[in-house]
Amino acid sequence: MNSYYELTYIISSVLEDEQYPAVIQRINDLITSSGGTLDEVEEWGLRKFAYEMDKKQTGFYVNLYFEGPATAIESIERTMRIDSEIMRYLTLKYDAKMKRHKELVKKNAVPEVFPIIEEDDSEDDKL
Amino acid sequence: MIKNPSHPKKSVRKVKQCKFTEAGLEYIDYKDIETLQRFTNDQGKILPRRVTGTSAKHQRQLTSAIKRARFLGLMPYVAENLR
Repeated sequence: MNSYYELTYIISSVLEDEQYPAVIQRINDLITSSGGTLDEVEEWGLRKFAYEMDKKQTGFYVNLYFEGPATAIESIERTMRIDSEIMRYLTLKYDAKMKRHKELVKKNAVPEVFPIIEEDDSEDDKL
Repeated sequence: MIKNPSHPKKSVRKVKQCKFTEAGLEYIDYKDIETLQRFTNDQGKILPRRVTGTSAKHQRQLTSAIKRARFLGLMPYVAENLR
């Protein structure tokens, strides 16, 4: 049984700019070799962290979607945990609701949570 | 005076409504930081349901989304610029 997964990981910023594609390629190959099929790979690029992580302020974010068996996750996560260039990773299994949400994101039709910006201010002021 | 519910000094309770239910959102994405930030205070704490009026179902989703965003360094656990 194959499921749909989302994986976000952070590559350590100690690497040079030219080295990131190699790491991304390695992770992509890892997913395909463990029986997964890549759907989308999106590089967010170098981003500043909201807090200091392992004495670093920035990291290279990669967000990808793939389909694969549950056994693949285990081996992918094990490899990523050992890999010193990967600072953090987060794998999410997609259910029907999340898939529907992703379709909306693709179509750029996500319902706005805050349609009018001023309206909400009174609530923010309470704290 | 205190027992009179229509007394002008008694503030009228504003009916709060869940923003996510209103918008018809099914899944709260941890990547949507702009929205998530509106449900945290300036310290970075998650606001309680009684303040935001979020429905229980969405509050649960919201907390996990915020916690995921925190783990990935997209949102702060604690805001450092306090005094």
